[in-house]
Amino acid sequence: MTGSETPAITCRNVWQVFGNNADSALKEALSQHETPEAAAQELRGKGLIPAVQDASFDVKEGELFVIMGLSGSGKSTLIRCISHLLHATGGEIRIDGENIVEASPKRLIELRRKKLGMVFQHFGLFPHMTVAENVAYPLRVQGVKKKQRLAKAQEVIELVGLGGREKNFPRELSGGQRQRVGIARSLVADCSVWFLDEPFSALDPLIRRQLQDEFLEIQAKLKTTIVFITHDINEALKLADRIAIMRDGKVVQIGTPADIVLRPVDDYVREFSKDVAKGQHAHVSSVMQPGEHHVYGADDPGLRQDMTLDAALARCMELYEPVPVRTEDGKLVGVVNPADLAAALQVEQG
Amino acid sequence: MASLSKGSIAALIAAVVGALCLLLESSLPWLVKFPAAWVLPATDWVGAFMEWFLALIKPTARAFSALMFYPMEAANYVLSHTPWPLVICATTALAWTLGGVRMALMAVVGLGFVLASGYWPESMNTLALVAVSVPLALIIGGGIGILANEYPRIRQPVQTVLDIMQTVPTFAYLTPLLVLFGFGPVVGLIASAIYAAPPMARNVLLGLERVEPEIKEAAIMAGGTRLQQLFQCEIPSAGQQIMVGVNQCLMAALSMVIIAAVIGGFDDIGWEVLLTMRKAQFGQSLLAGLVIVIFAILIDRMSGTLTQDRRDRHDPRVAWGILALGVVVSAAFWGSVQQPGTYGLFNPVADSVDRGLSSFTSANAEFLTALKNNVLFYVLLPMRIGLDQAVLPFTWGFAWTPMMSAALFAAGAAAGAVFALRGQMALGVMLLIAAGMLETGISQLPWPFVLVGAGVLAWVASGRGLAVLTVVLLATILLSGLWERALLSLYLSGAAVFACAVMGGAIGLASAVSPGVWRVVRPICDMLQTIPLFVFLIPVLMVFQIGEFSAFLAIIAYAIVPMIRYTRHGLVSTPDEMIEAATASGATTWQMLKDIRAPYAAPSILLGLNQTILYAFAMLVIAALIGTTGLGQSIYLALGQADVGLGISAGAAMAILALIADRMVQGFAEERRKALGL
Repeated sequence: MTGSETPAITCRNVWQVFGNNADSALKEALSQHETPEAAAQELRGKGLIPAVQDASFDVKEGELFVIMGLSGSGKSTLIRCISHLLHATGGEIRIDGENIVEASPKRLIELRRKKLGMVFQHFGLFPHMTVAENVAYPLRVQGVKKKQRLAKAQEVIELVGLGGREKNFPRELSGGQRQRVGIARSLVADCSVWFLDEPFSALDPLIRRQLQDEFLEIQAKLKTTIVFITHDINEALKLADRIAIMRDGKVVQIGTPADIVLRPVDDYVREFSKDVAKGQHAHVSSVMQPGEHHVYGADDPGLRQDMTLDAALARCMELYEPVPVRTEDGKLVGVVNPADLAAALQVEQG
Repeated sequence: MASLSKGSIAALIAAVVGALCLLLESSLPWLVKFPAAWVLPATDWVGAFMEWFLALIKPTARAFSALMFYPMEAANYVLSHTPWPLVICATTALAWTLGGVRMALMAVVGLGFVLASGYWPESMNTLALVAVSVPLALIIGGGIGILANEYPRIRQPVQTVLDIMQTVPTFAYLTPLLVLFGFGPVVGLIASAIYAAPPMARNVLLGLERVEPEIKEAAIMAGGTRLQQLFQCEIPSAGQQIMVGVNQCLMAALSMVIIAAVIGGFDDIGWEVLLTMRKAQFGQSLLAGLVIVIFAILIDRMSGTLTQDRRDRHDPRVAWGILALGVVVSAAFWGSVQQPGTYGLFNPVADSVDRGLSSFTSANAEFLTALKNNVLFYVLLPMRIGLDQAVLPFTWGFAWTPMMSAALFAAGAAAGAVFALRGQMALGVMLLIAAGMLETGISQLPWPFVLVGAGVLAWVASGRGLAVLTVVLLATILLSGLWERALLSLYLSGAAVFACAVMGGAIGLASAVSPGVWRVVRPICDMLQTIPLFVFLIPVLMVFQIGEFSAFLAIIAYAIVPMIRYTRHGLVSTPDEMIEAATASGATTWQMLKDIRAPYAAPSILLGLNQTILYAFAMLVIAALIGTTGLGQSIYLALGQADVGLGISAGAAMAILALIADRMVQGFAEERRKALGL
């Protein structure tokens, strides 16, 4: 991933305001106030609801980008802006460089047919269609012949492990199976940008974990760009390449799972990661002082950059002096102070 | 005094105005009787405007009428010329497909009865009208529903218009249509299409609105065009609700086609009922009424299966077999079967019903008359003209003296004071008002009191907006000169609603407490709700002849059902957790009912009351056929004279009364629901 590539998704100062005359009210508020906070304050004062405020970020091609927040934080609204189920009140949203906020209805239909796929929290399955018909529906609206589209649907149904259920109706399936249908349907048209709106939240924990794992497998196969919404920090940390945390309509932090866990920007984010076993999500590289010219002690517990903090700490329990971190082939890349390891985990030092 | 509740303030205002009116009554007679000089000739204006307007669209209407003539004739021809074995078998086959053995049996038995009664040709004529009007209503209603869903801006106005259309009494539709289309079956056809379209529109809109947002979004994200989204995803997803609309549409169309028979000109089953009723051949009219009931039940139950969630599949081969049987029988025996109209298997039964009825009424004449007179003299009349005029030596055995008035007020005031002291100020004042109303009689209430009273009641129910609307609409009736008739209507429907509330509430309570009672009551309720309005007139007429008491009974019979249903439903649908909590606290069954179930059921019971009021108003107009005074009678008279102005004004006045009552009760129900956090 080089920096010169066009990001798959670009959001610049995206606003979604609900209420009467939201468009003009937003323009007015933005022209009068310097900061987005002040503008949002004014909008609220007028009885409008700024559900998404000034969201800006890029999603690289093939990246799994998770947007996390509690209910009411605006994450579902934001994903609906990006997929243009909602027309963003302000700002710019580009998908592969194309500004979709200004796209014509015709172009949007085309984009959705060729490029975008979406999975919904409560599945959004059509109750009057069988599994196969549900999955094939995106092809049906494109006018693909019945035989062809059912053949293609069959492939995806197999991919999500629902073979043999083609003729069932959604009401005859369990929650986990229904979401597999939802996933299959969103994949059938070979989308390159995949939106998932809390896809596993309505499922019970065991099924959830199973589907997460299968989802990662599918992602490894397909390499699509993904925007994934969740309210579950563990799910976010498990799946994400990068995470955006939202609060009251604002994006408060964007970073890798380790960033979120180890360097929360405020108490709100810290509160999220409080219950997380940080040692399992952060790696040695996040507390390492990089470079080859460091002074370190005589002990070498054999730390690697990509070791989790838990594993590293287990090896340095008795050590106090800085220790070296090496690559697989023994090359020195930096040093770590064992005290930093413990501090990062907020473990009391005895 | 600042801590007075809204209800208390309202009650006090009404009481003060009422008292003022009573005091000033003798010196200012215009308080009671709205002076004729103040009345605007609104009825004439409406008539003139409508005649001008109708003349304008008459050519179009007549052309449409001519156009509708063809499908109607065609449907009629097909239905009346198809051999009856084939019709019965085709219906049975359809019934099998929809509902299996039970439904098929119902169809065979039902149609067999129709055939045997000799009313087959008339029934086919009625069915032909329904067959043409229903598709029309479905298309119009469905179209309106879809458009209202597509353009949110017109949704509110459309809802309002649908609301109003449902409160306008059925007969009121007929007069302008009569002028437009002339006498004849086309009027019935169009009236029934217009009358049946709103429930379809309502349910289509409701169904589309209730489609899960994620289903709509999934359709968008699949890349469907708007039309694809609508017809491939949203409408099929809303299918069940739309089928409810189809069911209601069918029933409304049937009901209206039968009511439209009063115009005459078409030899259908409704006309048959009317004719035999006029000739006092009650046995025959009961028979014809039963035929209508059979059709209503068949159509309702068969289309009702479409609304069910999961339908059993029935072997289509059986259906084809039944159909083939019909063809074979028709072909083989066509020469030898009798013409369907010539069967009269039940004529002896009908005759003996007539004979039995006359011997019953003459044998029990004393009892029946006593019953009728007692209700009339001791309940209806006092409510209508007040104790001061209703109590006469001739009926009550003594004359009403001013002393008694004073005593009545004193008693009211004393009871009111007791309640007020116990902190139930509003209730106390209302008692006093009730005493005043009993003394005066509903039809002679001073109009300022009615305006103010209704206004403050609306204010308590829902707020300033409804209060203003209420006063303005009532003032319209006042100025149009229909006031007295409106009060008469109000009195009769009020009395009927009150009786329904008491009896229906009691039956509902009994059904809620005892499943055994419900097992008996439920099929009766189902039956009463399926029967077209018209048929209710037959039995009451048989026993009590024409008159206000018969009308009163007919209204009660029709309007009591929702009260029973909603009361029971409200009482039994208390969440299990609440029941368990009450049980755990040691509540007895009675305490549970009083403290837990009843408050929880209040919104539901209020909605039942609301439905009862609307039903009563609807029936009031039909009951005009057998003798009521008031607006219903005016609407009926206008129909006879093709007086568009009177017909529309009286219909509008009726709709206004129904609308205000509806909004007020809804307001109270909404408030209760909010208070309970539902």
